Amino acid sequence: MRVVRIDPRKLARGVARACAIAALAAASAAALARPAHAQHLLVPMDDAQTNHLKAYGLTFGAIGDGARSEWLLNYRGGSFLLPDLPALRRQAALAGVSFEAVDGARLVALRREIAEGNMDAVPLEKAPRIAVYTPPDAPPWDDAVTLALVYAGIKYTSIWDDDVLDTDLSQFDWIHLHHEDFTGQQNKLFLGFRDAPWFVQARERDLATARRHRLADIPALKKAVADRLRGFVERGGFLFAMCGATETLELAIAGKDVDIAGPYSDGSAMDPDADARMDWSRTFAMQGARLEMAGGVNAMSDIDGHQVNVPSRRQPLGTFTLFGFSAKFDPVATMLVQDHRTVIRDYYGVTTSFARKVLKPGVTILAHEEGAPWVKYIHGSYGRGSWTYLGGHDPEDPQHNIGAPPTDLSLHPNSPGYRLILNNVLFPAAKKKPLKT
Amino acid sequence: MSRRGLRAVAALVAAAVTGATLGGAPLRPLAAQEAPGTAAIVSRALEHESAGRNREAIDSWRAALASGVVIPAALGLERVFSLLAQEDSLLVMFDTLVPRYPRELQLRAAQLRTLITLGMNTQAQVEFGKWRALAPTDVAPYREYARVLLFNNRAAAADTVLRLATETLGSTRALVLETAQMRSALGLWKDAAESWREAMRDEPYYESAAVFSLSPTPRDLRDLVRRELGVPGTPLGALQALALLEVQWGAPRDGWRVLSALPPSDTVVAIWRQFADEVQRVRAWAAARDALGAIHQARPDGATAVRAAAAALAADDPVAGLRLAREAAAALPDSIALADALPLELDALARLGRASEAVRVLAKARPALGAEGARPLARHIAWAWIRAGDVARAREALKDAPLAAEDAVSGWLALFDGDLDGARVALRNSENPGQDVISALSLLNRTRESRSAAIGQAFLALAKGDSVQAAQRFERAAADLADAAPLLLALAARIETARRDEERSLTLWKRVAAEHPESPEAAEADLEWARGLRRRGDIPGARERLEHLILTYPSSALVPQARRELDTLRVGAVS
Repeated sequence: MRVVRIDPRKLARGVARACAIAALAAASAAALARPAHAQHLLVPMDDAQTNHLKAYGLTFGAIGDGARSEWLLNYRGGSFLLPDLPALRRQAALAGVSFEAVDGARLVALRREIAEGNMDAVPLEKAPRIAVYTPPDAPPWDDAVTLALVYAGIKYTSIWDDDVLDTDLSQFDWIHLHHEDFTGQQNKLFLGFRDAPWFVQARERDLATARRHRLADIPALKKAVADRLRGFVERGGFLFAMCGATETLELAIAGKDVDIAGPYSDGSAMDPDADARMDWSRTFAMQGARLEMAGGVNAMSDIDGHQVNVPSRRQPLGTFTLFGFSAKFDPVATMLVQDHRTVIRDYYGVTTSFARKVLKPGVTILAHEEGAPWVKYIHGSYGRGSWTYLGGHDPEDPQHNIGAPPTDLSLHPNSPGYRLILNNVLFPAAKKKPLKT
Repeated sequence: MSRRGLRAVAALVAAAVTGATLGGAPLRPLAAQEAPGTAAIVSRALEHESAGRNREAIDSWRAALASGVVIPAALGLERVFSLLAQEDSLLVMFDTLVPRYPRELQLRAAQLRTLITLGMNTQAQVEFGKWRALAPTDVAPYREYARVLLFNNRAAAADTVLRLATETLGSTRALVLETAQMRSALGLWKDAAESWREAMRDEPYYESAAVFSLSPTPRDLRDLVRRELGVPGTPLGALQALALLEVQWGAPRDGWRVLSALPPSDTVVAIWRQFADEVQRVRAWAAARDALGAIHQARPDGATAVRAAAAALAADDPVAGLRLAREAAAALPDSIALADALPLELDALARLGRASEAVRVLAKARPALGAEGARPLARHIAWAWIRAGDVARAREALKDAPLAAEDAVSGWLALFDGDLDGARVALRNSENPGQDVISALSLLNRTRESRSAAIGQAFLALAKGDSVQAAQRFERAAADLADAAPLLLALAARIETARRDEERSLTLWKRVAAEHPESPEAAEADLEWARGLRRRGDIPGARERLEHLILTYPSSALVPQARRELDTLRVGAVS
């Protein structure tokens, strides 16, 4: 006799989903019985919105509950169209998200306006399964993506090295990388924090993980993790990285078989020919970058344009500008830049920006600083998946020193910088349309 | 002030410094070249400049330059052209003057300022290089260039210059001030604090600059600054800076702790005085009381004791206020003591409820004060009797020296009597209504009743400091005054919340929310109810109350706070 094994977690998820759909259906029925309700709720994302960040959470939750939703690209700052359900109205009111009731006539006019301009309506069909690569112990700095997800009320799963190396990453649609140094040099923080308890603890934890996986040292561990993440994208996953994770992921992938870590990390000096031996054909975004060979200089390579931790090279912060894309012909890039501001104040991170000179030709630049030799926000495809890099650490804390308190997003509910992060969380939910070109 | 304005001020300061050093060796050759009558030309140029006649000022300064007044004229032209945003007009002048007087610090510094302002960074670097080559062992080129860069928010470039100075000169001791500023600008707070500390070993008057520079230190890094500025053997200026930083960071009593351990000397007492002035300015009364009290103890002085007593009373410390007021009275001439110290002593006694003593003190002073002089002090006696719980004698005290009907004391007495109409009129006309008057008026405006003994008793209990009785009586009064019932219940609930009687406060808030859902207090009741539930660990219950508040009272000013607290409750739910 054949025994059918049911994963209890899947079963629980299925039951929860069925209940949610039933609840929404019941709510819909109730809504239908009340003629005062419109057919749809428009969640504007221009300056009429009182809480842009929670609007993403509202939409994400609606998709998760099976409600038919649409992302109206380039329409009033990238608004959302949701079904008019009492449950959604209630959630919006609780979260302080503004919405407008849309009846049939207004919907027709709205769709006509979208059809006639550089706009499009993209159906959002399935809430992506989200994982955040984040250390088990809270480091003395926070992560903008985690802050945004928690504030917006979007659920995610935390993963760390063991999970990446041992489990099937295809269970996730979208992975965000916390500010990890994938070269295994712990962001060279030994220069200033080698005796700090949190630094010592993180080092011991990573060394233990490396030993568990029979890897020689932390650089070897992080390179193995980087390679698994590369494979995740290659097989169709979405990867989003900020700050130092962007630059070091590229270096770790290109330097898979090269010693690119200083002696503090692996006991041996960097390969003097490391630059020449890097294999850039394997990376997502960069090519031909030059590694920082000086162990005492707190930089990894010349990928970062701002070099915030090297006083003699540090560049001042300016503003960056989002590019406009054709919503109908280039919906992915358009989704990633939906915002109610096009010029945004810049902010530092371990990696703040990406030098133009090291970008691969196929990379899509989503935002740049006018006249500067660097860009801020980039995207591209790799294998069957895609990746997005956003430079800097925290859009609402331009300096963000180690040990500074985390940003309180309830004070920044309309943050245009944080919207870029949440665009990335939501865009895997978009139904793929055949490209028109 | 605009950046150009600031630059003009900087140039003015530089001019002042020049004036102070005109007799110095480097400038003698320039001074010797001045033609007779140049003083009049300079004076005319300054007049034009201060009157805003920039074109005329330029002509006069050029004339002064032609007559040999090189430095004042060059700096005058720099000021005027920078106000006109025409710094490029200065380039030719510097190209001529600097080669002629290559060692002249003021000219070199002004040239660097101009080049950096114009964005001619490469040229500035070249000129800096030439200056360095001319004076290889002199710290001035590094200091002036670093200052210019720091002034233009180019901390990283200033860092490079200072590093170069270390490599070339072997030490940056002479550049410790610039190093401190640079480190602050780069956010290297610990290192910056260390540099400021060292800077103040030789030059203690930099404490204001240090405070300005270090005050933006992020909260979590402030301990590093505290440690650096507070190490044993640290100069007095650094300790003073730390104390003032604590005031800026909202911890004035920690600031006083830094200074209070110092053995008193003339210098230390002078620092204490500056600190006391600062904390008094920011109305940090407890720290002001401590600082002024210590000054008085170290250098007994009646005027200081009066200030200390007033600060103690403002800090709601009548015991210290009484002691200091009496010490002030002992140290001051009789007439001044009666005017300045006696009211404070009576105020302290009134707050302590020591009514008989207050009566004796006033009686003793009455012959010297006269009837008119004693009259305004009667309110203290009345308050003393109120605090002692004897309203009849309070009224008697006011009768002896009748006050205007609208005086706050008579308003309170009317309220204690249950005469709501009388209280309404008198309290509404209070000269400086405090929070207590505002609370009473908010109640009086909510009811149309003319009399209520229950409310009078409740406020009297509150005035006596008997919060248990007060809460019970407000709750009881709610039964009598239907139109003000939710507010009376809320007053009772607020008292119980402040007393941390969770059970009672929760019961009262529940009553407000359930029995008076349309009242202005209902949203507050929901919020406090939710907080009470959260403290008990009932998270779903708390969430339900907060959601109720947000959905039922969407226009309430408490909704943003409710959303924040709802978010806090949700955080645990996200895996």
